[in-house]
Amino acid sequence: MRPNFFHHIHPPTIPAAQARWRYTLGAGGTAVFLTLVLVATGALEMFYYIPTPAEAALSIQTLSYAVPFGGLLRNLHFWAAQLLLVVSAAHLVRIVFTGAYAPPRRFNYLLGLALFVLAILLDFTGYVLRWDVGIQWALVVGTNLLKSIPGVGNALYAAAVGGSQPGPATLIRFYSWHVFGLALLAAIVTVWHAFRVRRDGGAAVPTPDLRTDPGRISRFELVRREALAMVFTGAALLLLSAFFPAPIAPAMTGITALSGDARAPWFFLWVQQMLEWGDPFVWGVLVPLLVLIVLALIPYVFPQPARHELGRWFPRSNRLAQAALAVIALVFLLFTLLALIPAA
Amino acid sequence: MTELSRRDFLKLASQGLLAVSGLLGLGMIARFLGYQTDPPPPTEFDLGPAAGYPVGTRTPVPQVPALLIHTEAGFSALSLACTHLGCTLEPAADGFACPCHGSRFDADGKVTHGPAAKALIPLRVEQDDQGRVILYTEG
Ligand code: FES
Repeated sequence: MRPNFFHHIHPPTIPAAQARWRYTLGAGGTAVFLTLVLVATGALEMFYYIPTPAEAALSIQTLSYAVPFGGLLRNLHFWAAQLLLVVSAAHLVRIVFTGAYAPPRRFNYLLGLALFVLAILLDFTGYVLRWDVGIQWALVVGTNLLKSIPGVGNALYAAAVGGSQPGPATLIRFYSWHVFGLALLAAIVTVWHAFRVRRDGGAAVPTPDLRTDPGRISRFELVRREALAMVFTGAALLLLSAFFPAPIAPAMTGITALSGDARAPWFFLWVQQMLEWGDPFVWGVLVPLLVLIVLALIPYVFPQPARHELGRWFPRSNRLAQAALAVIALVFLLFTLLALIPAA
Repeated sequence: MTELSRRDFLKLASQGLLAVSGLLGLGMIARFLGYQTDPPPPTEFDLGPAAGYPVGTRTPVPQVPALLIHTEAGFSALSLACTHLGCTLEPAADGFACPCHGSRFDADGKVTHGPAAKALIPLRVEQDDQGRVILYTEG
């Protein structure tokens, strides 16, 4: 068989042990697939979406209920975005729990973390584009959090909002960031991240003399497995989209009007929960930033994974890093659950 | 001057130039994004004739958002923007409740339950010559 383009972007062979699902979870590849789905569905949504406060929510209703396959398209975009966050988190957990960030992959770990942050920002800006009563308080709270930052807060607020309260300028700014600014950055870093995987020698594996399983698989087998993962992910997306439509709510009447839904998007519920404890800057900005810094420091300050332990789960040598990530993940889950329980 | 130090100088100069242009560019982008196209929201709201608000009434004014209070002592008003992070307060049995993080305020605007730390902001209310109620969000 002659290798085609997709074969050519992979190495000729890779170690079999590190190509197994139970080692990689297929998370990185699935994230790439979801990104492609997001680009395609997002590009189509742009044909109907109107980024003005008066028309945004209405244009989404038109897309969802009138345009043939418009609802399906929007649901696919929504679910691909949510799955991307889940899959990225799984990827991060896999990298830390296998110690795969060990040098020379430290820098690529940071690129991956930057992509995770970009995905969260893209998800949040996309959520705000609905401009309906369901997103109203997330927008008000999110932008007012910027204002709470000492020193640069007001400048950041002005740059994000484009006025002294959310309005037309805000919507066009979020729109530009979502469809172009952040998307372009994410595209560049994605390509860079994938390039660095190759440059750093592919998936982290023990040196040849330490390998217990000398088997390798060809790029043909690798592409077959990736295609299989895409089929499964695509089917999951279609099923989710068919049975669970993306959230939608009546158009916003005014940024100050009462609205029923005060819940943050699911990936920020943990922050909303912390905000109940007091100072907006500490709980809404500082703590999330600290979490991000701890994650970024994992390859630099925690005990390094040992070379002979690479290529498998739970190496003994980097237990501390695993524990740190586990604590962060558990706290995230716990706070999210707390936020979901209605106040008594 | 040796060949090497000249090369070092050129390298340093080009890196310095790159850093300076980068910083300048960032500063320009920051100023560029800082321009405010939306006009500031109104600070003055004409609420109509005073006769519409008899003594003893407390009327929500959603577009501010505020609560207009008319007592024996005259007109007064409270901002209904939560002092924590700005969500609009909902009326509750004994005052106001915030839907966002659960702050509560009593009928006079004092905090009865956090996370909000500050009381609701009182707003200035005046009547003009024709007896119309004017609410000011500033000053
Ligand atoms: S905005 Fe009211 S409690 Fe946070």
